[in-house]
Amino acid sequence: MRSKLIIFFITLLLTTSAFCQIENLKWQKAYISFEKPDNIRQRNYSFESNNAGEFIKKSLVNAYWFFISDVDGDNCPFSPTCSSFFIDATEETNIFQGTLMFSDRLLRDSNPVKVNDYPRDKNGHYFDPASNYTLNQERIKYLPSTYLVVDE
Amino acid sequence: MRKLLATLFLIPIIVSPQSTSFDFRSPQNIKLFADNLFCEGDYLRAVEEYQSIQNILRNDTINFKIMFSYSNLGLYQISNNSLQSIPGTSKFKCSADYLYLVNKFREDPKGLRVFHDMPLPPEIVERRQKLINISYFYDAEFNFDKNYILSPFNDEIDRQTVSLLYDLKTDPPYKSPALAGILSTVIPGSGKMYVGEWGDGITSLLLTGLFAFLAYDNFKADHSTRAWIFTGIGAFFYAGNIYGSVAAAQIFNARVDFEFSNGLKLFLDQENYFLPDYDFCN
Repeated sequence: MRSKLIIFFITLLLTTSAFCQIENLKWQKAYISFEKPDNIRQRNYSFESNNAGEFIKKSLVNAYWFFISDVDGDNCPFSPTCSSFFIDATEETNIFQGTLMFSDRLLRDSNPVKVNDYPRDKNGHYFDPASNYTLNQERIKYLPSTYLVVDE
Repeated sequence: MRKLLATLFLIPIIVSPQSTSFDFRSPQNIKLFADNLFCEGDYLRAVEEYQSIQNILRNDTINFKIMFSYSNLGLYQISNNSLQSIPGTSKFKCSADYLYLVNKFREDPKGLRVFHDMPLPPEIVERRQKLINISYFYDAEFNFDKNYILSPFNDEIDRQTVSLLYDLKTDPPYKSPALAGILSTVIPGSGKMYVGEWGDGITSLLLTGLFAFLAYDNFKADHSTRAWIFTGIGAFFYAGNIYGSVAAAQIFNARVDFEFSNGLKLFLDQENYFLPDYDFCN
């Protein structure tokens, strides 16, 4: 009876002291999500302006987003995408200058060797905001290609 | 009996690691911990630990480390306020005075020049002059003689770096946006090649040339609808390539400015703002 009692106490002590050192919660199997994050920029389909030109421009871009881009998937290597760049460009300048900026963007997008020219955003896209192309030197924010853009 | 012995043997082993007889929070131990944090570069927590024992140990090294830590954290005003805690007789007084100037420089490079006649020991005067000369690089108007700027720098590598920065400041390798635009008007894409964007330039030339050829070929074959469509696309890319060349030259110039300011910052970081070398961690 006594030996059983001693064994019981030893077991109790060992269990109590060993319990504190258990780190299984810290080291146990982690469940990682392998889902590809949704990189497509949040679409804004609303028509915010009463201007006829703005209405036509937004209709064209909305149609492109709805019928082509969203179906095609996240394929544009740039951030913002070319269609979003067009919207940003026209909002920052005017429809004429914005169209020229858009044309230049399409030419740059066609260049197959642009790897080292742009910084990357967190999704791996080339960060290329419209504000750098307004021809206003003060607005240019140069970032080296080694830079990772975390907050756009 | 054996079981009893085994129990008695096990209990001290289990209880001993949980003993609280060791005073972890003694000032000496806090200092050791703070020194470790300081050497690891964790200045925020190091300064917190140093401040908890500052009034107990009354140590000049601790006071200087607090000042140094705040400076590295970018809290220059607080760092300079710590200068008062270092007495004139301290061996760190000279370094602390210079750190005060470095903090002023880091707050505003031009603001340092106010202290150009502050009485300091000769070795610190030379360091201050280096910082003052470097501060001129931050001015928009820069018309100093190269020899004057280089005069306080005796080390050959430093002289070469400052000389390079001087050349970049006085004659930055800017590209002309107007010339880039004109070149692309004459030969599509050549403006981009002029600013070093060879890939974009060749792409512009090929795409504009392709649509120009398609338009010409269709006009020649009397397919006027197709010809006009290709003309429109060609003109769209042609205009975009001229605009893009001007923008590319501006971005190139922004890159030159960025590389100059980045080079200046790297030089100052590498030289640690000409602060004396402290051997606190060995």
